[in-house]
Amino acid sequence: MNFDLHFAASMLPTVIEAMPVTILVALVACVGASLIGFLLETLRRSNRYLGIFIRFVIDFIRSTPVLVQIYFFYFVLPFYGVTLPALGVGMIGLSIYYSGYLAEVFKAGIDAVPAGQFEAGKALGLKRIDTVIFVIAPQMLRNIAAPMGNYFVSILKSTPYLSVIGVNEMLGASMQVASDTFRYGEPMAIVGITFLLLAVSVAQFVRLLEKRLLLSSRR
Amino acid sequence: MSFTAILSGIFEGFGVTATVTLLGMLYAVPFALAFGILQYFTRGWRNMLVTAIIEIWRSTPILVLMFVFYYTLPGLGITLSGITVGAMTLGLHIGAYGSQSVRAALQALDRGQVEAGFALGLKRRQILWSIELPQAFGAMTPTFVNQFIQLVKGTALVSLITLSDMTHRAMEINQLTFDPAGIYSALLIAYVMICYPATIFGRWLEKRTVPQGRGNREL
Repeated sequence: MNFDLHFAASMLPTVIEAMPVTILVALVACVGASLIGFLLETLRRSNRYLGIFIRFVIDFIRSTPVLVQIYFFYFVLPFYGVTLPALGVGMIGLSIYYSGYLAEVFKAGIDAVPAGQFEAGKALGLKRIDTVIFVIAPQMLRNIAAPMGNYFVSILKSTPYLSVIGVNEMLGASMQVASDTFRYGEPMAIVGITFLLLAVSVAQFVRLLEKRLLLSSRR
Repeated sequence: MSFTAILSGIFEGFGVTATVTLLGMLYAVPFALAFGILQYFTRGWRNMLVTAIIEIWRSTPILVLMFVFYYTLPGLGITLSGITVGAMTLGLHIGAYGSQSVRAALQALDRGQVEAGFALGLKRRQILWSIELPQAFGAMTPTFVNQFIQLVKGTALVSLITLSDMTHRAMEINQLTFDPAGIYSALLIAYVMICYPATIFGRWLEKRTVPQGRGNREL
């Protein structure tokens, strides 16, 4: 069996049609992972004993494969009567998996903000939560723009895992054509190239954003 | 089925998981060292070529890479076993990430180190081997431990190219007994049992190699 260029070209529309799903999942997971990650890190710092527990939760999340976590949510939730569409399960799975990593990123970011900033907030009579949101978080964001961007690209690259639970994203859509036509080589090659282009352009965009953020921080 | 019975059933797949991990390391470490050093040394179009190769491996999702090689190579007349394909794609993907830490560690060294080598009359290659690499090694070890954990977790993907690793074993047991809650919890715990010690070791190593100044303030 040879590589059929004609068939490969005919795969392109299928892959491009599925691209919005891939991007939607990635965007939702980026937001979800950031929010959960920030919550985890804030909780970890709020109380010593709670902190030890949250530390373990973060390590647990980081020590298990994302594929296994997605399986877990997909197969176990219905067992307890919670039935979500595969798309939702996938978004939750990716959000939770990457929240463990983003919590670590936030940790480094918060540690890099000078302690005086926190004390200044206290001196001004701000509430703890207000200090965190209005004083610490904006400065932290500048510190962590680069690693956060890297994880956002990683999230984009993790969307193919959702094909195993039947989400019709780029890989899932191509697998469907592949199993219909019994030709796997061409669809896989096309989806690989598309992902490569998508990931590289998102990475470049992130790099551009990072540069602008650093420029604006120069006083 | 009792929880321990499930767990021991899952660990029957440990051999495959371990084999893919070790073979993956055999691909990852030389690739990371070679390409990290190449990227550090080359200039102009050679550097662009090296960067392009690294980016191709880094920017394409592992699952897609795995499917590309698993399904496309036979069409081109190359037949590799599932273990080889899994270890190769995982290893080179992780290795591409590792190459960045090798390059970063080399770039972070003081320029004076190289100049001192030249002043002693050493050749460029001797400087690399006896001055730069030994010093850079400390900076890149914690990242390598992290990459190793990523590799172990990545092996869960070989279940999708029908190798009987831990994840695949769990799915088989689930088909027999249909107790997803117990089985997938056991699978999560099995991976934590393998990866958590490595996480702790990595953190300990990081503390020893990365200078500590700030840290762990309450928020």
